[in-house]
Amino acid sequence: MSAVAPAPASQAKEYRGVVHDLSSEIMTAWLGQLREAARGDGRPSAYLMISGNCVEILRCFDILPIFPEINALQLAIRKKSLPYIMKSEEVGYASDNCAYVKADVGFTLSGGVGPGGNIPRPTMIVCNFVGCNVYIKWFEHCAAMFGSPLVMLDIPFVRGGRPSRADVDYVQAQLRELIARCEELTGRKFDLDRLREILRYSARAEEGWSRCKELCKQRPAPFDAYFDSINMMGPINALRGTKEAADFFDRAVTHYSDLVARGVGVLPEERFRIVTEGPPPYPYYRNFRNLFESWGAVAVQSTYSTVGGTWEFGFRHDPDRPLESIAEQMLVHNLCNRTLLDRYQQIRAYVEEWQADALVIHSIKSCRLFSAGQGDMREYFSKELGVPTLMVESDLEDPRYYAEAQMKNRIDAFFEALQYKRLRGAAARAATDETHGSAARVPLPCEGCAAAHEKTRLLPGGAS
Amino acid sequence: MKYAVGIDVGSTQTKAVMLDPARAILARVLLNTGANVKLAGQRALETLLSDSGVPREEVGFVVGTGYGRYKIEAGDTQVTEISCHARGAQMLFPGTRTVIDMGGQDTKAIKVGSEGDVLDFCMNDKCAAGTGRFLAGAAEVLGMKLEEIGPAALKGARPIRLSSVCTVFVESEILGYLAARQSIQDILAGVHEAIATRTVALVRRVGIEPEVTFTGGVARNVGMVRALEKKLAQPLNVSPEAHYMGALGAALFALDHVLARPEAASVEDVPAAWVGQ
Repeated sequence: MSAVAPAPASQAKEYRGVVHDLSSEIMTAWLGQLREAARGDGRPSAYLMISGNCVEILRCFDILPIFPEINALQLAIRKKSLPYIMKSEEVGYASDNCAYVKADVGFTLSGGVGPGGNIPRPTMIVCNFVGCNVYIKWFEHCAAMFGSPLVMLDIPFVRGGRPSRADVDYVQAQLRELIARCEELTGRKFDLDRLREILRYSARAEEGWSRCKELCKQRPAPFDAYFDSINMMGPINALRGTKEAADFFDRAVTHYSDLVARGVGVLPEERFRIVTEGPPPYPYYRNFRNLFESWGAVAVQSTYSTVGGTWEFGFRHDPDRPLESIAEQMLVHNLCNRTLLDRYQQIRAYVEEWQADALVIHSIKSCRLFSAGQGDMREYFSKELGVPTLMVESDLEDPRYYAEAQMKNRIDAFFEALQYKRLRGAAARAATDETHGSAARVPLPCEGCAAAHEKTRLLPGGAS
Repeated sequence: MKYAVGIDVGSTQTKAVMLDPARAILARVLLNTGANVKLAGQRALETLLSDSGVPREEVGFVVGTGYGRYKIEAGDTQVTEISCHARGAQMLFPGTRTVIDMGGQDTKAIKVGSEGDVLDFCMNDKCAAGTGRFLAGAAEVLGMKLEEIGPAALKGARPIRLSSVCTVFVESEILGYLAARQSIQDILAGVHEAIATRTVALVRRVGIEPEVTFTGGVARNVGMVRALEKKLAQPLNVSPEAHYMGALGAALFALDHVLARPEAASVEDVPAAWVGQ
């Protein structure tokens, strides 16, 4: 029996690169526009949700989109969320209420939105996301705080995999109502050709997004599809429909293709390929990443990166079916408006097609809505499919839920077991296969064999 | 350079074990961790050396485990206590397929392979509800010593039903039952039953496969052993040295390193002296 090799000490590391810098450039330009609007340049703006959004329609009227979720996560990643969360608790929000909501509401109550801050008071509030009842209340509260008109879109929850024709028509009818509200607000006439042009940019960005994700099927993966994906999530979700976002993805594809051609991965050695489920703990983003990095674990796919859209499975906005394709995106081509069983299938495809060794679920303490089925999910993957699955818990926004020692303990134990299994598999093969030589005292993993072995095991009905 | 040491620096106590190349235990120590975690690890190693009479240079490898594992200066490497408990339990009870480890502030359920490898594990939430700390809280409010509450619980014929296993709220709830003139034995029986119920739910998440081995400091509590056996409807393997299991596992990992060295003599698997006690 050979010893489990230790995880090297976690090091402070700068996870930056070309795509991070390009993303930062265009996202900063957008934040600059928000700042100008906050200072009263007169440009209309609207609150919008990330998941399955219809940003293209706002863009068609030059309405500046504002995403309170992005405001909240920006606060968290800069370690500034807690005072705002507590501000919300002071006024009566419960301790286990969604921490995104509390950070945003606290930020607003503290004067962060409006002339004194960097976020403009929204001229209009568009609640496009009905996969979460709490979000409906959030936007109602925002509308009440700002006295801004609220447009509540009712997106039927998708049952049975596909939306019905009536569902699509229902959402399209609401989009026409939204267009009428935008016309009223801006005094401008709806321009269908402009919308088609915007959708062409959307489709180009979506194509680039999908190609980047596809490149992570390579060994080593050119980027971490969980931690590095946030560099692409800003442009795809907030800036979709702009030339800048489309160009950004063209450049990202070029860059990542080059890394693949040169065999350059995220880490010096890609030892474990994982799929992740659930948002990251933004208040401890780098700490959390370091815990995986110390084991040479790289996420080759993540569900969180698809909250805005599941484009890697082929959907594109279609300039020839403008409103219909926007309705379809909102209804079904995003992570959130679908059943948990659909999510299982998405993860299963990730594990099999991206050849992952394991699944890691990060459950969100202040979001029971999306965490509720994760215990079953863990069982399904670990017991029915035989995919090693780790479930850890903290929060996406509230730093009080993150305990580093406990988190590290779980992650270390999980990878110790995976590593041990791999070593043992290699030892068994070495003992039986003459091409590997006789049994070594301390077996080392044979990467190619381990990969083939893991792959076989993960396939449905595969020999193990 | 033929001896192996495992040091388990836990939240409450530090445990350490020294093994010879035949996996026989030469020495073991148990001391309170206290505020200085680094010192606890150091003292544990010093005590092992003096108790065994083995000179420091004869110790070939030291593995640290437990929450304080990165603070152990003598540690050549670190392994989580999850892997260590699995390994230790499998050495003492080779038929082990499930390990329940109950310590000062966490409870773990571990599914174990035939070689002591971890197949799956689950731990309690970020909260000490239903762990050793909960029992300590109950003992304190009843004015009893920790070692007294297990035997007392066995005498409770009508266990009370606790509304929660919150370590903080248990005290006021117990006070309420005392005021209502419930017997201490019935209260303690209820306390143990509540923890057992919660623990079995945790173990079900990894799957309960016999044999089940109970490790960690709380395994010394006979009330807890019986309550778990009742809920699981099967006997538990319990070693009188259950609280050393993490340190033993760490020492076994250390021994792997010692034996992997070319100069190490070939050693047959020798049954450990502890089994069957």
